[in-house]
Amino acid sequence: MPLESAIEVSNLTKYYGDLCAVDHVNFEVKKGEIFGFLGPNGAGKTTTIRMLTGISIPTEGTANIMGYDIQRHPIKAKEQMGIVPDVSNVYNELSAWDNLIFTGKLYDMPKTSRESRAEELLKMFGLYERRKEKVQGFSRGMKRRICIAMALMNRSGILFLDEPTSGLDVQSVLIIRDLIRNLNQQGLTIFLTTHNIDEASQMCDRVAIINHGKIVAIDTPEKLKRTLESLQSIEVAFETAPPNALKELEKLAEVSEVVKEGDKFRFFTRDPPTVLDSLWKYSQDNNLKLTTVNTVGPSLEDVFVKLTGIRPATAEEESGKSGRSEEQEMVHRRRKQ
Amino acid sequence: MMNAHSSHYSREIRVAWAIAVKDMRTYYTKPPSLMFGILFPFSLFLSFSIGTKAPLAAQIPILVSQTLFFASSSIGPVVIPTERANQTFDRFLTSPVSLLSILMGKTLAGIIYGAGISVIPVLVGMAFFGFQIISLGALFACFLLSSLAFSALGIMFASIPGQTPGQVMMPLNFVRIPLLFISGVYTPIRDLPTWMQAVSMLSPLTHTVELARYASGGETFFGPILNVTILTIYVATFLLMGIRFHIMNQRKE
Repeated sequence: MPLESAIEVSNLTKYYGDLCAVDHVNFEVKKGEIFGFLGPNGAGKTTTIRMLTGISIPTEGTANIMGYDIQRHPIKAKEQMGIVPDVSNVYNELSAWDNLIFTGKLYDMPKTSRESRAEELLKMFGLYERRKEKVQGFSRGMKRRICIAMALMNRSGILFLDEPTSGLDVQSVLIIRDLIRNLNQQGLTIFLTTHNIDEASQMCDRVAIINHGKIVAIDTPEKLKRTLESLQSIEVAFETAPPNALKELEKLAEVSEVVKEGDKFRFFTRDPPTVLDSLWKYSQDNNLKLTTVNTVGPSLEDVFVKLTGIRPATAEEESGKSGRSEEQEMVHRRRKQ
Repeated sequence: MMNAHSSHYSREIRVAWAIAVKDMRTYYTKPPSLMFGILFPFSLFLSFSIGTKAPLAAQIPILVSQTLFFASSSIGPVVIPTERANQTFDRFLTSPVSLLSILMGKTLAGIIYGAGISVIPVLVGMAFFGFQIISLGALFACFLLSSLAFSALGIMFASIPGQTPGQVMMPLNFVRIPLLFISGVYTPIRDLPTWMQAVSMLSPLTHTVELARYASGGETFFGPILNVTILTIYVATFLLMGIRFHIMNQRKE
């Protein structure tokens, strides 16, 4: 019977002294999935990935990679994977070409196949013309691409990516996300850790949310969102809102919370139709003109906040980091909605 | 089964060699390697030898021993903390190769560095200062066992979880420098008090100096058989302890 699981994790635990960084974690990643591992900083994401890839030895529990136990059969398990860590750990003193060739040697690839694979990957990443240059002169995005190319050298079945787009410019982020999707379409299983909820929501087939070393939820992004019906919301903008609007709006029936977001008000409710009726009545009674009305389902960010109690970087902060334009941001938000 | 084993071992050897070659290309000319591997032993030699009446040819075994000692033991403490800081050491740990082969690759880089530098005074001495090799076998044993033992010593110290070469070099120098004074480098062992002679026997550097002297026809105190035996014991001890300490590190990671 063919193996369906790419990764099987059972009771994986890591203690640092008395501190439990990862606490009896269980999950399974199916072949061909993009699996997101989401959590705030310090939740245990990197510790988990380090145990799965053989860098760190678990205190307890097992992890099977394509059927091979990483502790009992580390060589076989490591042959099945490529790893892109959170820091681009390339050899700055070597050229792009030599970085890839050295990786091929670590995987004991024959000379001809490592050279043809290195050429293929450098062309694919648009770095072939610069293959003879030392990597230390490359930009952060280029180093990231080299790092991913190194992880792809051995044509493995699983690619581990730890915060692959963190700190990159928008162009590099888009290139890398497209690349991950393409690799996945070619059959590669992707294990992606990220604290970027947008990224997880857009890219992952399933997501596990980890907090304080424990998995608090694991499902598809859409199913996770549906578990939080109470976080449905209505977004409303008035042409001119009265100064005391927030206090009055909080009193409307079936509204659990109102948040002012710029010139808009966001009403959290279990019952959007009733709130819409009340809002309509309120605007009529106060001679207010509604300019925008949107019903918004819970986002993965809402699920994350609800489960972890931690508010991650907002979309605005993320766009600030990524350099997204106002127009791109608008399109991006509409897509979210 | 036999083929599977031999192919596994040959694969490990190939990967260890690839790691050694990469380290040679990347770290041999780094300032800490040059400083602790070349400048330090040569400066020490000059500071002690200037003014001595002994002919230069008789002092070459001292220089050879010092360079073997310092150069071989410096590569691990330069390479591993630097790779730890850049997270490139993780690249080895995630590759399909055993920790033993990774450390053997690093050890090999230290051996070649130490032996490569130490052969220069031998050749210069032979060419210009009348230095003679009486026993090529003893010289070969001296180079092989000493560079292996000292390189493994460096790898063992590199298990100290530092992220700069200095964090490893400092404790290593607490061991290396005192060894110079008890190993018959500058004071002949026969002139030491009895208890110091016993201590001196425990120093691996003593046996490097003795083998180098023996190879060039000089006098030895313990004799080449004991020298080779003790150096071999140190090779095994440093290698095993180094692997053990690095595994302990991995558990703490």
